[in-house]
Amino acid sequence: MPETNSNTENFPPSENSGVWLVKIITGPFLIILLLIHFIVNHFIGQNGLLSYTDVINYYKNPIIPIMEILFLVTVIFHSSFGIRGIILDLRPTREMMKIIDIFLIVTSVTAIVYGTWLVITIASIR
Amino acid sequence: MSKTNTNQPSPKNILSWFNPIGKQTGGLAFILNRVTAIGLTLYLYVHLIVLGQLANGPEAYDGFVSLMNHPIIIFGELLIVAAGIMHGLNGVRIILTTFGIGVTHQKLQFYILMGIALIVILIFAVRMFNA
Amino acid sequence: MSDIKWNITLKIYRQKENEPSHYQDFFIEVDPDEYVLDAIERVWAFQDRTLVFRHACHHSTCGACGMRVDGVEKLTCITSIRSVTKDGATLKVEPLRNFPVVSDLAVNMGSLYARMETVKARSILPITEAEIETPKSEWNNTDDQYIRLSDCIECGLCISACPSAATSPTYLGPAVLAGAQANGNPIDPSLVKLLDSEDGLWRCHSAFECTAVCPSNVDPGRRIMNLRTQVISDNFHKLFHKTQGKTDE
Repeated sequence: MPETNSNTENFPPSENSGVWLVKIITGPFLIILLLIHFIVNHFIGQNGLLSYTDVINYYKNPIIPIMEILFLVTVIFHSSFGIRGIILDLRPTREMMKIIDIFLIVTSVTAIVYGTWLVITIASIR
Repeated sequence: MSKTNTNQPSPKNILSWFNPIGKQTGGLAFILNRVTAIGLTLYLYVHLIVLGQLANGPEAYDGFVSLMNHPIIIFGELLIVAAGIMHGLNGVRIILTTFGIGVTHQKLQFYILMGIALIVILIFAVRMFNA
Repeated sequence: MSDIKWNITLKIYRQKENEPSHYQDFFIEVDPDEYVLDAIERVWAFQDRTLVFRHACHHSTCGACGMRVDGVEKLTCITSIRSVTKDGATLKVEPLRNFPVVSDLAVNMGSLYARMETVKARSILPITEAEIETPKSEWNNTDDQYIRLSDCIECGLCISACPSAATSPTYLGPAVLAGAQANGNPIDPSLVKLLDSEDGLWRCHSAFECTAVCPSNVDPGRRIMNLRTQVISDNFHKLFHKTQGKTDE
């Protein structure tokens, strides 16, 4: 008999509607935040790219660091859950999935912590 | 009943995701979404690392930016902009169809959204190459 | 049928047990308004009796003759030769993907049938569930006066076309999810965990290849989306009632 049973019989599902909702809720926020990001960086900049001075001035407005940190957290969540979904398409074993989850959590947390530190550093430059 | 082991679902078929032969509109949208997803994720982490240059002061960062003014790099940046816009609008299609909005016209939805994407990308292309 | 004759080459996938797969060319004269299955049958009858393929009703009711014709999933009994090739051309015929090959063009469909049983897919449905109306909050067997056969003929074309089914051996697949959706609302509690999982609804990435190739108006893509909405809505209600329960304590 070909394999028909799912792993979920004995374990909780590795993916469910909650995971998917994270992706589609972060998605629309990212469309807006990314558009702002693209416009600021590729439209408004004098030479199509912001200089160091441009960036420092931009970050002086207190809304910007908050927006950028939110942008970072949203994009990390969206991309990590998205990549996780792609990996799940390859149906790794449960043990392999645990390792992948740990890797994704570590890279995500590192990226968020590093990015937040960078934003605060830039925003603090006067 | 005899059977062979070929032709079965397997992670080895991963390249079939990206094979456009035999795929129709929605299948091509799937390829586009997957390629842009992977590309944007890789770029995201590279981008975060590269932005660390900002912490090294104006000389380091502005020196790096002047390197980035090469047409090939600008084209690469445009590809990122294009990927972001296409992935985002394809995502809109996924959200709308999941909630039943336009699900019987998903091909038309894709064409319209990619049409919008193309216009936006062209606007960015003109701006980025004229700067 | 007209008097026009075409000369085409059928490039057919051959696979016997313990032998490597290969393609074999068969030159055949056809009436372009005949069907691809007719051509394959004539190849078997007059050129190679070892060619194995599946066929039965010849009118798109049994789902037996599903194959890939030039890379696209088709029911070969209703695919005219004129619609897929031209005089003098080569037509590639391959078995469906994502099912183990038994021999040549015949695949083992057991996983599909077993999964349809797992989700308790029914062949006879009340009209509303068959037509994907907004599911009623409760379906009662005596509610609907009119019933009809389910559109799904379990041909497997959708599973062959699905990109997620290519890499995930335990993914239920479009036909099975559509079968589960057609059972109506509420979702059978014993199935919720399976549907709301990595082997169920969330392996679908909205490629809609299933809908594109379905020969029988099932529209599996739409049914999967409908089932997702049901599952999300049910989960919200459960969450709300759990929260309510906590505040009531």
